[in-house]
Formats: sequence, structure tokens, C-alpha cells
Amino acid sequence: MSATTVSSKAIRASKKKDKKVKEKFTLGEGVCMLVTAVLFCIVAFPVFYAFLQSFRTYAEITIDPMGMPTVWHWENYVRLFQDTDFLGATFNTLFITVISLAILIIILPMAAYGVERIGGKASGFLYLLFLSGLMIPFQVRMIPLVRMFNAIGIYGDLWAVILVHLGGAAGFGILLYCSFLKGVPVSLEEAASLDGAGRLRIFWQIVFPMLMPVTSAFVITNALSFWNDFFIPLVMLDASSAGTINVAINRMVGLLTSQWELIYAGAIISLIPSLIIFAAFQRYFIKGMAVGAVKG
Amino acid sequence: MATVRRGTSGASHNAIHAQARRNKLMMFLFTLPMLVLFLWIVIFPSLQSIQLSFTNYDGISAKYDYVGLRNYQEIIGSGRFWNSTKNTLILGIGSAFIINVISLAVALLLDHIKHFAGFFRTIVYLPSLVSAFIVSTIWKYMLNSNFGAVNEILTKMGLDSLAHDWLGDSKHIIWVLLFLICFTLGGNTTLIYLSNLQSVPQELVEAAEVDGANGLQVFRHVTWPMLAGSVTVNFTLALIGGWVIFDQVMVLTGGGPGFVSETMAFFIYRLGFGEYRAGFGSAAAVILFIVVMITTLITNKYMRSREIQQ
Repeated sequence: MSATTVSSKAIRASKKKDKKVKEKFTLGEGVCMLVTAVLFCIVAFPVFYAFLQSFRTYAEITIDPMGMPTVWHWENYVRLFQDTDFLGATFNTLFITVISLAILIIILPMAAYGVERIGGKASGFLYLLFLSGLMIPFQVRMIPLVRMFNAIGIYGDLWAVILVHLGGAAGFGILLYCSFLKGVPVSLEEAASLDGAGRLRIFWQIVFPMLMPVTSAFVITNALSFWNDFFIPLVMLDASSAGTINVAINRMVGLLTSQWELIYAGAIISLIPSLIIFAAFQRYFIKGMAVGAVKG
Repeated sequence: MATVRRGTSGASHNAIHAQARRNKLMMFLFTLPMLVLFLWIVIFPSLQSIQLSFTNYDGISAKYDYVGLRNYQEIIGSGRFWNSTKNTLILGIGSAFIINVISLAVALLLDHIKHFAGFFRTIVYLPSLVSAFIVSTIWKYMLNSNFGAVNEILTKMGLDSLAHDWLGDSKHIIWVLLFLICFTLGGNTTLIYLSNLQSVPQELVEAAEVDGANGLQVFRHVTWPMLAGSVTVNFTLALIGGWVIFDQVMVLTGGGPGFVSETMAFFIYRLGFGEYRAGFGSAAAVILFIVVMITTLITNKYMRSREIQQ
């Protein structure tokens, strides 16, 4: 390889860099945009499909599965709430998600702080103990859990689901909070303690506000996973309750064999809160979960 | 004098010790509520699973008898169990692998998009807001053999021969499931890869280009080694999720036709809550735990060593 080719390549490389600095629109970038958009349309197709079908009647859907709605049957959504206890299911899902998160936000950061600041061997032991929870899936412990909840009389209750969520979120939560707490200087807390502030006040007034980026990432991921969960409420809630949205839809699949439009409507409604959570926290989503690791 | 001084320093030493002990106790109290919940909901039932796996517990009655190793002997000889293990391996490893490849490819696409980058990141993330349960339910109807959209599209495209009962075909059902599980842009996984890609120093890439490396070579020798950390995280997480695949099986096939498409998670669920053989199910649960633990530790160890080497 001669020196001239190297230098010409170097010039080309530097030209490329200049282009990037000016951020000119290139053909390559356009192709990347197109491919991404097409992939999105393919993957999101089932949801678009369900959305359109939720406005048609069962007869229309079965006669022409790929047809568009001719008349928009908004009453499908009304019927969903009239004919089934979908309102109860929606309330249950909301209750489980909100209460689980509220309790976790109070006890989890405190626990992580304790694990991090207790020091010595206890720190390492507690950390690993919580982390082991990541490797114990719900399936491994659900049979004894149902037995225990039956014994204390909360099987079938929303609290059974909440308790399982609380235990299950511990492993990932401790991992997340502890890795962030490692970067929080102790000196701040020491200064506050000289002022005579108690540990509890130091934690809530000084440390907790600094944990906000982690808290938002934690809340977003868990809000979605609690809202979207199917397996835990399926096991923990019996026919005595309206179930969660997913459990209710699962029951409808078995019962309303000839009302596909209602199931599509239910599927679409279940997406709305996820979209709201995402829209509200979008800034944190992208930042907290991805770029935050680099730039923050 | 000397003794007095030693005395005071000893006393202050004691005071410091007492304060440290108080501090330790306080920190332990901070941890206590979560710890109690965690031991109660996660650790204790896991240990009880081991105990129940040696019994003939039926899942309903309060009483049960110890049967020794009988459950484990039966499991080893159960074709249904091995079939569910095989399915779990195909779906777990298969989906972890494929979803990571897709996510990395999408992350590379996003990394090249400089205009409207936020918009494209958003549309890549959006599909992962839809739960596995909901998307499976929609697919269940789209794949319906009589009135489903998939067969309709195939017929319209003149591919009638391909149209068939997708979920009732015991020969191919596991591959249909694998396809549906991998039918995603892998929102979270993609974002983790993307953030890692954007942290690759631009100078390194340019230096390689100056040395005459083409795009593929740059990826192989510069970008890929820098991604080792996020590969570890993403693959381990995908594997942990893959071992307990349940929703898709429950919704789409119910484990059928027959028991053909059962996964380990589904197998345990069925035994525990459908067939009143909770003791036997617990033995399967214990085996699932051992599989999850060993594979997680091994993959993590292997991948971490990869990170250091490169």
C-alpha cells in the first residue's frame, strides 16, 4: 500500500467526518430510515389490524378477514363494557399497578441504601441475596405461594398479585439502585448528619431526590411489566374476581367464541395506558434507559 | 499520663464503635421491610418447592405424604417432560439469539440516522409496549384457519398451498411459536445496543477507515468488541426470559396439539393447577430452577471472560 493511497483515504475519511459535522442528509441515511419505517409497519401490523377490526361486526370479520370497516361500529366498545365486567378488570389492573409501584418506591430505595451503606460483609451478602431473586422465576415458587395464600385467606385477592409483584421486583430494583448509589458521595450525608439530621431525614431529603433518574427508569419499566402481566394474575386470581384486563380477555376468548370484535376492542383499550405512560415519560425512557448510561 | 491518654482514646474509640454499630443497625432497619417481603415471597416458597417435590401434594388438600424420589424418577422417564424441555431450549435459546441479532441490526440502522433520530427511536420502541399476551391473542385470530387474516392474504397472493391450520399443525407448531416470539424489534434490547454503539469513540472508527478497513471489517474488529458488555447484559436477560416462556403457549396453543408445544413453565402450570399433581409439578419446578441458575451463571461467566479478552 503506497503512501498516496493512504493519504487519499485519510482525506476521504476527513471529508466524511466533515459531512457528519454538518449532518447533511445522505442517501445511506435515507435507506436506513426507510428500512426502519418498513420494519415498524411489519411488526406493528397485528395492532393496526386489531384496531381496524375492533370497529367491524363479527359477520364482516369472518366474511372478509382483510376488509376495512365500512361503517365504524363504535358501539363495539360500549358493548365491551356493558356485556362484560371489563370496567372491573380495568380498575383491578390499575389498582394492582399503582399500589405495587407506590409501595416499591417507598421500601426499595431505602433497602438499596441500607444494603449499600451497611458496610462490611453484610453489604455483599445482602446484595447477592437480593440478586439471587433474578434467577428464581415465578414458576419455580408459584405452587407453594398459592398454598400459602390459600392458608392465610388472600388467594384470589388483588393483594396476592401485589405481594408477588413486590417480591419479584426486588432483585432488579436492588441491582439498579445499588449501582447508582455507588456513585453518590457519602460526604454529603456526613455534612447533613453534622447538622443533626437523622438518617431517615437525610435519606428522604438528600439522597432520594438524587436517585430520581433511577426511580423514573424503575417506575417506567415496572409500570409496564405490572400492567402487561398475564401469568401472575392468571394463577393468583380465581373466578370470584373480575381479574385483570389480560385475564378478562383470556376468559372472553373462551366464552365469547363468536364476538371477535369485542376481543379486539379489549386488546386496543389495554394499550392506551401503556401509550400514556410512554408518552408522559418518553424523555426519561430514552434518556434513562439508553443514553443515560453514556451521557448522563 | 500515658495511662490517662490511653484511657480517653479508648473511650472515644468505644464511642466511635457504638456509633458504627448504631449506624449498622439503622441501615439494617432500612433494608428490613424489603428483606422480609423478599424472604417471604421469593426465598421461602422456593425452598418449599424443594420440600413439596418429595411429596404427592395435589395442590388442594392440606395433607400430603412424602414419596421420596419418586417424582424425580417419574420425571426422568416422562417423554412429556423431555419434550417440554426440548421446546424450552428451542424457544429460549432460539429467541434469545434471534431477538439479539434483530435488535443489534435495528440499533445499527438507528445509529446511522442523524435526522429525526428521536422519532425513529420512538417507533422502534413502540411495539414493545404491547404485551406478549395481547399480541399473541391478536395472532391467534389472525392465524385462525377458517377466518384468519394470514390464510386470507396467502390465498389472495395465490399461495393457497401454504395456507393451513397454523396452530393445529403439530409438526411445525414449535417453529410457528418461535417465529411469533421473535416477531419484534426488541425495544429495550435495541436501546441498550444503541446507547453502547453511540459510546464507541468515533476516532477509533475513523482510524480503522484510514487504515483501509471496509464497513464489515470496522464492525468486526472495532465495533463488535466494544459491544461485549451490552451483549452480555442483553443475552443473559433474554435467556432468563426465554426459559419461562408461557404467555404465547398458553394463548396460542394451550400446549397443544396434545402436549406437543408445552414449555417447562407451561408444564409446571398444568401439573400444578390443571392436573392436581402439584408435588410432581414442584419437582419440575426445581429442575427448571437448576436449569435457569446454571445457564445464567455459565453464560454470564463466559461472556464476561469474553469482555476482558477483547
